[in-house]
Amino acid sequence: MTVVPHMTDSPSTDPERPPTARVFAFLRAHPEAVSLILLVAICASVALINPAFLQPSSLIDMGRASVVTGLFALGVFTVLASGGIDVSFPAVGAVAMYGISTMVLNVFPGMPMALIVVLCVATGIVLGIVNGLLVHELRAPALIVTIGTLYVFRGILLVFVGTVWLMEMPSQMVAFGQWSLVDITTRGGATVSLPVYFLSFPLAAVLTWFVFNRTLMGRAIFAVGGKADVAARLGYNIRAVQVFAFAFAGGLAGMAGVIQASANRMANPFDFAGTEIIVIAAVILGGARITGGTGSVLGTVIGVLLVTVVNNVLVLVGIPSTWQRVVVGAFILMAAAFFVLRDRKATT
Amino acid sequence: MAALQAGIETVYQDLSLLPNLTVAENVALGEQLVAGHGRLLRLLDRTRVHATAAAALGKVGLDPVEALLNSVVGDLPLAIRQRVAIARAIAAEARLVIMDEPTTSLTRHEVETLIEVVNRLLDANVAVLFVTHKLEECYRIGGDAIVFRDGLSVAQGPIESFSRARLAELMTGREIEAVRFRTGAPQPEVLLTAKGVCRGQAFRDISFTLHRGEILGITGLSDSGRNELAMALAGHLSTDSGSLFLDGQPVRIGSPSEAIDHRIGYVPEDRLSEGLFIEKSIFENAVPLILGRIAGRLGLIDRRKGRDAARGIAAGMNLNTADIDLPVGTLSGGNQQRVLIGRWLSIDPRLLILHGPTVGVDVGSKETIFRAIQEMAGRGIGLLVVSDDLPELLQNCDRILVMNAGRIVEDLRATEVDEDRIYKSMLASQAELAE
Repeated sequence: MTVVPHMTDSPSTDPERPPTARVFAFLRAHPEAVSLILLVAICASVALINPAFLQPSSLIDMGRASVVTGLFALGVFTVLASGGIDVSFPAVGAVAMYGISTMVLNVFPGMPMALIVVLCVATGIVLGIVNGLLVHELRAPALIVTIGTLYVFRGILLVFVGTVWLMEMPSQMVAFGQWSLVDITTRGGATVSLPVYFLSFPLAAVLTWFVFNRTLMGRAIFAVGGKADVAARLGYNIRAVQVFAFAFAGGLAGMAGVIQASANRMANPFDFAGTEIIVIAAVILGGARITGGTGSVLGTVIGVLLVTVVNNVLVLVGIPSTWQRVVVGAFILMAAAFFVLRDRKATT
Repeated sequence: MAALQAGIETVYQDLSLLPNLTVAENVALGEQLVAGHGRLLRLLDRTRVHATAAAALGKVGLDPVEALLNSVVGDLPLAIRQRVAIARAIAAEARLVIMDEPTTSLTRHEVETLIEVVNRLLDANVAVLFVTHKLEECYRIGGDAIVFRDGLSVAQGPIESFSRARLAELMTGREIEAVRFRTGAPQPEVLLTAKGVCRGQAFRDISFTLHRGEILGITGLSDSGRNELAMALAGHLSTDSGSLFLDGQPVRIGSPSEAIDHRIGYVPEDRLSEGLFIEKSIFENAVPLILGRIAGRLGLIDRRKGRDAARGIAAGMNLNTADIDLPVGTLSGGNQQRVLIGRWLSIDPRLLILHGPTVGVDVGSKETIFRAIQEMAGRGIGLLVVSDDLPELLQNCDRILVMNAGRIVEDLRATEVDEDRIYKSMLASQAELAE
């Protein structure tokens, strides 16, 4: 008779395993650590080569640049975690931004800024609900549905609202874009300011974290993203989860829209086109799996920072900006290789 | 949902755990879900989740330490996962827990632990419905037994009132009158020899020979390794060690395409998802192995040649339709299976592995498939029939290999044994085997 070895009860906390295995186990549970290490390494080496990187002005520049990507990415993360994918958010952002700006300019010039923000977010939520319902009712792959709505939303915007760039923005939006949190005077005498709207990214991150970790909905999103059929059998409402995830992403995209318009002091109906991939890349670099059910808010934030830094600092160390794509692409391939290795290890 | 509210919980064979959530969440989120009547926009009471989970895990004999509560379920070994699934079932004040073949993929030691868990549940006044085909477990658990056969309840009563032999008899039903379909006899040349083939925990030391024109049955419980062996011989799974000889030549079958190169065919158990392009036509399903033959010089498919070939296959397999443009999804199970077998005949196979050839096939079609099997054997093709349908094996095979716990435990001549004999060695425990 053969004796089958009894398996250990807790494979992840076995202190007797060699250190390399433990490091690997840690990285498996926290894939975003890889991106964090990359981020720190890049920042450190850039700072060594060109100390200008550490000046407040360039840090603030990067902070500003991260906001729109960050808001989009938190939304995409939510949808990815639920097992879907959303590529329509650039159009959602554009509809909210351009549609509401046009309305304010032409109909309600005196509308308070707070209401403008609320309207933009609401527009995004409505379009997100459309996405969620389509995905759920058609039982179609979310990628196909949101490619469709990406075109439909933007098409409707161009046909019914307009195609002209708005160069004169409502004054309250301009003021919002310039409302400063901190002013810093550089050695050259110029003033750079960290705008108040920058806070929307950390606030949205905290909100997303709260939803995921402190509400039943957050756990339900992971449950559905992990195994939808099992989740349904256990009584989770798949429809509510999908609609919520897309609506949440839509709301964040609307927020990103109003910030983009206020910060740039113009509204371009063609804006955000082509941001889909870089945003999804940021989320993936943050450790979320494209197949759903994994990832973390912290990871998403790290992914966004990594992508933003790569997009902004290469110039500082004399690498042509045309190399950005190569670098981001290489990182994504590294992440993909890492995830494949991780899963292979997990199954053996 | 109604069942859940009545306090009936089921531990499904697939456990129905969410692999990416923690143990605590898997065990205790359901309670919060029920408390909120399914509404999701509610705060999560994490303290309560942990308390509920810890209590339930304690009841199934798992030490509810934080490390375990916070482990991701997908990282845990199967036996632990199973206890987590049971813990989830009892977390919600279940009065009846249904376990569907819970021991299928457990080792002996783990089965013992599971039986302890069942006894704990009984002590806590929870009723348990334990679905199994392993007689040993029935006696270990005790209580009342209900025997089902062919969808009917054939006996009921305290388990002690049945002898093992009586139970096996009730399960199989003796009255099956086997018409033997086997007509021919194997040829003297050895076609396939396996020597000491192993694959991890699935099967070990598999050695046998198969002659040309021989029909060799392989049976065993679903966890006996028979399925893995079938897939390994067809190149769908890898092997760790051992060697295979085909017509006396050593061969390596590392992938399905290598198997095809050796003219080894494999008809999978789940023809719908693994065998057929279900939405495509009979024509498209019949020709994929002979694309090279029906393609012209530029690699373009000569449709007329292909259609002729497909028609030949359809006629050869006695399909009940001549319209080869019909999607195979519209055919009956038996006809689908015949399309699949016909596809392999198109490459003139030396060895054909049939995995559950008549699963989901009606009685009439079974006969046609049996005749096709006999006819293939008559042509000198070696056939391996992997099945748990014992009458089917007895009716068709020359020899039957019985697998148990990853090994071949018996090599029986089909004409000299009956179902009881085979059942006995399928169900024998490790200890009995050692004797």
